[in-house]
This record gives sequence, structure tokens and C-alpha cells, in this order.
Amino acid sequence: MSQAVAAGDDFGALGIPSGKLGMWVFLASEVMFFTGLLSAYIVLRMGHPAWPGPGGHLSVLTGTANTLILICSSMTMALAVGAVAQQHAKWTRLFLLATIVLGVTFLGVKLHEYQLKFHHGIGPSTNIFWSCYFVLTGLHGIHVLIGVGVNAWVLLKTWDARFWTERPHLVELSGLYWHFVDVVWIFLFPLIYLL
Amino acid sequence: MSQAITQRQSVLIWVWLAALMLLGVLLSSLHLPHRIVVLAVLGLSTIKAVMVAAYYMHLKFDAKFLTVVAAIPIPFGVILAVMVLLDKPWAR
Repeated sequence: MSQAVAAGDDFGALGIPSGKLGMWVFLASEVMFFTGLLSAYIVLRMGHPAWPGPGGHLSVLTGTANTLILICSSMTMALAVGAVAQQHAKWTRLFLLATIVLGVTFLGVKLHEYQLKFHHGIGPSTNIFWSCYFVLTGLHGIHVLIGVGVNAWVLLKTWDARFWTERPHLVELSGLYWHFVDVVWIFLFPLIYLL
Repeated sequence: MSQAITQRQSVLIWVWLAALMLLGVLLSSLHLPHRIVVLAVLGLSTIKAVMVAAYYMHLKFDAKFLTVVAAIPIPFGVILAVMVLLDKPWAR
């Protein structure tokens, strides 16, 4: 990693960039948040004799496609972190933009899926499966939306000359959040769509 | 910033993530005992999550203290789930 990039970070007594440590502590709290929700889902599922119940069908093809989209976005985010480390402005912007577009596509597919369910008279109050589905995917979707917003903000910042000397680590921090959102979906997808 | 992985590594990890995800979809479509499918698919998910955390989130290259921070909520989560499951909701 170049010294120019490292210069943007503040280091604490642990020798770890303060921003990164703060982000990991935040992500640890997010892990607890989603673990609680997933535990509730598993317990509700195990206690329900006929899961998912009438109308409890989800398109595995749609879920698989959306998972591939999110995995692709994780790769472009990793490539953006690599590009900013080498101070390649053009590639950093391109990979950040690709990540944003893929994130918006994921949300678009998810909204389309919601729309189809609502069209068939299925909503969060239909039964316990659909309550879980809308809560888990909805909260995950809000996290994706926040990630898209943060990435867009970082992308805009890359046109500021001071960004490259003072704050290039913002790409890595937004990347950590984005990858976390991907990790959550890695567990949500099989639990809701496959098992 | 931490050590970034190379472009080649980023793409390679993506290939693995996509392949493991598709393997999970394939396994879930086979007529295998449900318990085996659950274990296999969630096992694959765990492997994918570790790959993302280790390479894309750089835990493999960063200070070990960050791995500890990342791992702290996991035992709490397991305890949380086990305590509720001890109520045997499936036995009602």
C-alpha cells in the first residue's frame, strides 16, 4: 500500500486506523442485529409444522440471479479498493460506479419481487413465513440502499483533489460496509429461498 | 489503508463465491435428506462468508485484533440461538 494512501488514516494506540476499527465495531453490532433476526427466523420455522404454508413460493431463479448480482458488486468493490490504493482515479470511479449500478439493480429486482407478491395478494401479514420474508429482506434492502448512498457519496468525493491525499481510506471503509451487506445476503438467500 | 488484494485475486474469489453459491442451489434441488441439505448449504454459506471477510474485507492481511472484533458477536449469536432452541419449539 502506498504511503500517500496510508497518510489519509489516523492511527490509534493499537496501530490500527481509527476509521477501520470504528467500522469493524459498528459491523460487529450489525452482526448481532442480524443474528437476532435470523435466530428468530430459525426458531419460528422449526416451531411451525407446515413451513412455509400456502402460497409460500419464491422464485429460486430470481433469488439466484440477485445473489450473483450482489457477488459481482462485491468484486467490483474489492477492485475499487485496489484501484484507490494505487491512486488510479479513473478505475476507482469506474468500479465504484459499477458497484452502485449493481446495488441499484439488486434493489430493482427485489422491488419487482415485492410487487409481484403484492399483486397476488401476498403481504407481510399473510402468514408467519411472509412476515419473516418481508422483515428480513426489507431490512437487508435498507442496508443495501444505505450502502449505495454511501458509495455514491464517496464517488462524488473522488472529484475533490484533497480526497486523494487526505481521505482515500473512505473507499475501504465503504467497501467494508458493502461486503458486510453481501455476507448477510449469503446467509439470507439459502435460508429463505433454498431450505 | 490495508494491503489490497490483486485484481486477479479479486476475480478468483468472485469465481469461487459464484461457484459455491451455484453448488448450494444445485444441492437444494436434489432429492437428498433435508438435514443433509441444510448442513451442506449452510456450510457452503459459512465458507463463502469467511472468504469475503478474509479477502474482500482484508481480515487475512489486517491486524489480528480486527479479527477478534469481528468474531466477538459470533459466540453471542450462537448462545442466543441455542438458548431459544432449548425451548424446543419443534416439539410443540
